[in-house]
Amino acid sequence: MSAPRLAILLVEDEPEIRRFLRASLGVEGYRVVESSTGRRGAIDAGTHKPDLAIVDLGLPDIDGINVIRRIREWSSMPIIVLSARAQERSKIEALDAGANDYVTKPFAMGELLARVRAALRHAVRIDAGSAVLRMDDVEVDFDARTVQRDGQPVHLTPIEFRLLAALAKSAGMVVTHRRLLAEVWGPTHERDTHYLRIYMKQLREKLEADPVQPRFLLTETGVGYRLLLPPPAAA
Amino acid sequence: MRAGFAWQGYAWSAAATVACTLAGLAMRSRFDIVNIAMVYVLAVVVVALRFPRGPAFTTAMLSVLAFDYAFVPPSGTFTVDDVQYLLTFAIMLAVALVVSRLVESVKTRAAAQAALELEAETERIRSALLASISHDLRTPLAVMAGASSSLAESGEQLSADERRALANSVFQQARRMSDHVAKILQMTRLENGAIVLERDWSSMAEIVGSVLARLRERLSLHRVIVEVPSELPLVRIDASLVEQALGNLLENAASHTPAGTVVRLRVERRGDELVVIVEDYGGAIADVDVARVFDKFEHGRAEGSAGGVGLGLAICRAIVRLHDGRASAQRMPGGGTAFSFTLPLEPAPPPPA
Repeated sequence: MSAPRLAILLVEDEPEIRRFLRASLGVEGYRVVESSTGRRGAIDAGTHKPDLAIVDLGLPDIDGINVIRRIREWSSMPIIVLSARAQERSKIEALDAGANDYVTKPFAMGELLARVRAALRHAVRIDAGSAVLRMDDVEVDFDARTVQRDGQPVHLTPIEFRLLAALAKSAGMVVTHRRLLAEVWGPTHERDTHYLRIYMKQLREKLEADPVQPRFLLTETGVGYRLLLPPPAAA
Repeated sequence: MRAGFAWQGYAWSAAATVACTLAGLAMRSRFDIVNIAMVYVLAVVVVALRFPRGPAFTTAMLSVLAFDYAFVPPSGTFTVDDVQYLLTFAIMLAVALVVSRLVESVKTRAAAQAALELEAETERIRSALLASISHDLRTPLAVMAGASSSLAESGEQLSADERRALANSVFQQARRMSDHVAKILQMTRLENGAIVLERDWSSMAEIVGSVLARLRERLSLHRVIVEVPSELPLVRIDASLVEQALGNLLENAASHTPAGTVVRLRVERRGDELVVIVEDYGGAIADVDVARVFDKFEHGRAEGSAGGVGLGLAICRAIVRLHDGRASAQRMPGGGTAFSFTLPLEPAPPPPA
């Protein structure tokens, strides 16, 4: 059965960078739509309705963050940001504006492809409405609100469960501190980062084999957290 | 600080005058009154050496008044019988002025000297930077140009394995170069004070976890032992910068010790500080180097090929200092080196409701 090729919108002004992205994404079977300016990109997103957008933050005309805001006005398509090292602040701003993930230049193609796959898989899973999450020996059932580890029930407090659910909703992708705090504790706590430190530690102690070197509940230092899922077994 | 210093100066003026008067009263029976005046002059000189003009002048004025009142006949009044004592008063004031001026000019000259030395140091760093750029950046560039041109010009004649190897070395060298450039930029920003700390409550355990994940490949040839206690207080730091600082220590350990050796990463609480320690077990650095190893472009061990712009430890120290912590290196008894830094702890934030 041949599924229609997934389309990726690439908003990037550097032709050399577009060249290798086009080549690699093409090899992976994606159809690539290219825009060399931010304005063009915002328009192309509307006309081509791609499955995912890759947006460079350093565009010549309008800020990449503006492109993200314009897309977010009407679409929840996954957006991955390409940022330079010196753009730490705007990277977080872009994520808070609705981008789902980021890759820092220079990056290995494998890194970007993994992010693309995780973002697309996420989009598919949301459609399918799957409510069970598996991380090795841990199984979380969001409908039944139960967690099992090695077949044994694990008790999570309501806040721990909400935090895990907030991460699982964006599984594979980064979620900023601010978003997590707003979602779990409410918008008045957007700056109480220490809440996250305390509850992430508790979650890791309950779910990870080595809480200091977690395999699933990853820290994105200075940005937020990421729930990394093992690639799904062919089902 | 400065206000406290000035206040101290005037306190010294008063104390010195009182002390001289007491000494003078004790001397009066056996010494000439002119010698007692000398004791006051000495006090004026001492105060003028240590403090600015204000306290020096005050000492002179107080000394004149005290000397006049207690010793100049008729004693017990401010009346002056003999006009020659007016000369004594004038000399006391003049001494205060001259010594203060002298001290000030010496201080100005010392500052100028320090500025000159700083300039020389900056110059030394600049030339070291250029030398380091030409070596650490040109080598990867040469590899990239060579490998990629081979691929472009004669890719068809090469086996798939050879092509992959060449392409891979282009990638590795590009990454290495990007790392060097990032470090050079980071050091420049730190030196220019262009970095503003974005402090937030952070967990050192999380930082350890994320830096180990980031450097997994880099540390894959070493045996990494991690010792982080499960109950550590949170620290209010710029987590991204401290992650860099710790990452640089680990990269330093990995690139300067042989494959297969142990790298031990420990975090502990000591009083009101958090201490982060990276110990390596590959040949101790020389005695002299322990003190200098955190300086820019000091490679610590004389291995040119180990590479690294030599900025990693300097960046680490600059980041730690921005956080009011200390970075240090120590030789360990069994051979090997322990690099460590401290981060001050603050009272914990209010816990979640």
